[in-house]
Amino acid sequence: MVPILIALIIGLPWLGALLVWLAGDRRPGLQHGLAAGFAAAAGAAALALLLVYRQGGSLTFAMGPAFGEFSFAPDGLGIFLSIIAAVVGALAVVFSVDYMRGSPQLGRYYAMVLFFIGAMAGLVLTTNLLLMFFFWEITALCSYALISFYNDDPKAVAGGMKALIMTQLGGVGLLLGAALSYAYLGSFDLAVFLAQAGGLPADVLQVLAFGFLAAAAAKSAQFPFQTWLPDAMEAPTPVSALIHAATMVNAGVYLLARFYPAFAGVPYWRESVMLVGVLSALLAAMMALVAVDLKRVLAYSTVSQLGYMVYAVGAGGVFASQFHLLSHSLFKALLFLAAGAVIHSLGTRDMREMGDVRRVMPITRTVFVIGAAALAGLPFLNGFWSKELVLEAGLKHGPLWMYAAMLFTAGLTALYTFRCVWMVFYGPPKERQHAHEAGRWMRAALYPLAFGALTTWLLAGPFSTLLGETLPFHEIHPEPTQAFLIEVLAAPATWLALGVVALGLLAWQLRAHLALISEPLQDLGRLAGASFGFEALNRLIVRSVQSAAEDLRGLQTGLLNWNILGIVAALVIVLLVAALGA
Amino acid sequence: MNVGIVVLAITGLLAIGLYALLVARNLIKVFVALQILVKGAMLAMLAAGQIAGKAQVGESMALTVIVADTIVAVVGLALAVQLRRHFGTLDVRAFSTLKR
Amino acid sequence: MFVHGLIVAALLICAVQAVRSKRLLHSALWLAGTSALTALMIYLLGAPEVAVIELSVGAGLVTVLFVFAINIAGEEAIPIQSIVPRPLAWFLMLSSIVMLMWMNRDLVGLNVDVAQVLQLDFKTVMWENRILDVLLQVGLIFSGVLGVLGLLAETHPSALKEGGQ
Repeated sequence: MVPILIALIIGLPWLGALLVWLAGDRRPGLQHGLAAGFAAAAGAAALALLLVYRQGGSLTFAMGPAFGEFSFAPDGLGIFLSIIAAVVGALAVVFSVDYMRGSPQLGRYYAMVLFFIGAMAGLVLTTNLLLMFFFWEITALCSYALISFYNDDPKAVAGGMKALIMTQLGGVGLLLGAALSYAYLGSFDLAVFLAQAGGLPADVLQVLAFGFLAAAAAKSAQFPFQTWLPDAMEAPTPVSALIHAATMVNAGVYLLARFYPAFAGVPYWRESVMLVGVLSALLAAMMALVAVDLKRVLAYSTVSQLGYMVYAVGAGGVFASQFHLLSHSLFKALLFLAAGAVIHSLGTRDMREMGDVRRVMPITRTVFVIGAAALAGLPFLNGFWSKELVLEAGLKHGPLWMYAAMLFTAGLTALYTFRCVWMVFYGPPKERQHAHEAGRWMRAALYPLAFGALTTWLLAGPFSTLLGETLPFHEIHPEPTQAFLIEVLAAPATWLALGVVALGLLAWQLRAHLALISEPLQDLGRLAGASFGFEALNRLIVRSVQSAAEDLRGLQTGLLNWNILGIVAALVIVLLVAALGA
Repeated sequence: MNVGIVVLAITGLLAIGLYALLVARNLIKVFVALQILVKGAMLAMLAAGQIAGKAQVGESMALTVIVADTIVAVVGLALAVQLRRHFGTLDVRAFSTLKR
Repeated sequence: MFVHGLIVAALLICAVQAVRSKRLLHSALWLAGTSALTALMIYLLGAPEVAVIELSVGAGLVTVLFVFAINIAGEEAIPIQSIVPRPLAWFLMLSSIVMLMWMNRDLVGLNVDVAQVLQLDFKTVMWENRILDVLLQVGLIFSGVLGVLGLLAETHPSALKEGGQ
């Protein structure tokens, strides 16, 4: 049963991608239907896997001695992330039925989204390092294709190229890890790597650990690679919700969580991870505070929340980070989709042109407020419980100054969230053309996510059981849900955090009275607007890669004899190696 | 059958084919060179089969190679005819329309 | 032995002439000669079936194809100046050949008795053990035919439309 389900989770979206592309752009209704159908089927298969994973077993293809086995095994991390990928993916596809209505080249859009869903599920379910790299690259490809979906818009294309280059540089770290694992341990298998990581020479392990950290930071848009994510907001909003909030950017955190037992012993690794998390969280929160583009605010907040997860992993709280990942995927996807409904209806992304939208879009306002409350960490929403667990894990195992910084960031989170909600839905109304409530399919996608944001904290117990049972190397102790709830409510740190959040909310309300403080902060705000100079760094990287590519173009002359020369030269080199080696 | 003579033949054919492939400018000459190269490879496969003792395996591989290389020649010549029509010349240098 | 050496020498001369001829039609004829001599060598190596096929396909079919294509495409004077500098071509070719010969140097003294080597039937090996090869050949033939049809078919309507460009 398990191998069939795994094959379905990965195979159904890919089959759907092929069929949608073959259906042709002249039949958009068929394309919408096929895409939604296959995505929903994949979501159902992922949920079914939750019921039967205890049977064990795995989907394995033996590939001979060179590549080992290509296998997919259902362990806790894999199952829960593939459920998120498939279910949130299905909801995003359903949302797209309304959002992309009438858009040209639907086939390309749906094919890429479905291809991505299958690849993401494959990435988290596989236990072979080489396959992990393969799926990692597929997700990067789909992300690039979807960011530059509106390929007539130079901003979209530039955003796509930037995302591609930054995440590919990180992918090199992953490939290096796979190659080193094979060279020293003779196998690409994950379980072998985790068990024998102590056997690697210390400097090799260090290279691996920091290489993976770099790969994860690039993929999850952490410090210092954080500026590609806001530029990726040129993508259609369902894509932003799926790829850049709920799934692909989680791949970095997944990587860190997966390999934590192997690297925990490397000197300074945990501290570096925590530092990366803290800096990302703090800087991104400040940048969110001054942004005026609705999607950019949400993008920065994604970076910030991912910083929390990375910080938790560094502190050793793998369960806390994954629980926050679950909450974050749901409420961030909810926020993005609701924002998409607003943008689709009003035709603008600039928050200064929005205001008092609640009159026209009451349902959207309600779900957006639910998501925002979860993001800010208000009690009894899933964000509150998971964020408190993260902060506690950080307090127990990390330096105090980092905890203070994260606490301050929680206040900033509340502040910018409230600012965003107020600027869009409340506040004075602005001039605008016909705005309308979200369409039927948009609402169909929003309701389950809002429900999830309200209730998934109740799953803490079963979730810890899932992770604890299936991840032998991580030493997670399963506890019932009440234990977690009581632990959070009893900790004084929780009340401290709540106080800070309340302060953040108040600060917005009283912003007129706080003018005294905000004056000297204006310069900081301008610095934040320029993303603290990291934009310049990233632009430098992108520009140097592109100019190197231009210079290499001289090698591609298109002349037949020149190409044959290349082949023969390679033959000579291969013969040389063979002759000397033998 | 002295294997040395066969190796000489194989090496000679491979050398001529390879050199001509690098140096030819007329597209049809390129296909002639390919044919010569593949004949050398085919002889090599047969000889290897004989030496290893599995003559039949070598023969069936050689047969496959003959078929494959004939197909290459067929499609390649059709391509050459079309290129002549499109570019007006068979000179390899004219076939590259990449920006310099 | 002497006869074998003579055949090999003739083979190599035909090959060189095929490459060096100024006129394409002569190249095609020298290529036919090369194929015929290769077929003879294959027969002497103890594989009569393959030799027959090589003779009919290589010396027959391919030669006819070449002549046909050359007639359609037309002869043309192309300057000899090659794109890859000749010394570089010589160097690459010689280094690969020398390395190949070096790696096979043990084989030169061997004498293989042709008649003794036969173990399995050729038919059995081809159709059972290596059935994948046969399927591959069928696939290749189909794709080749389709490719040629695709390449040659489209000229008719466009030739009528644009007048042959």
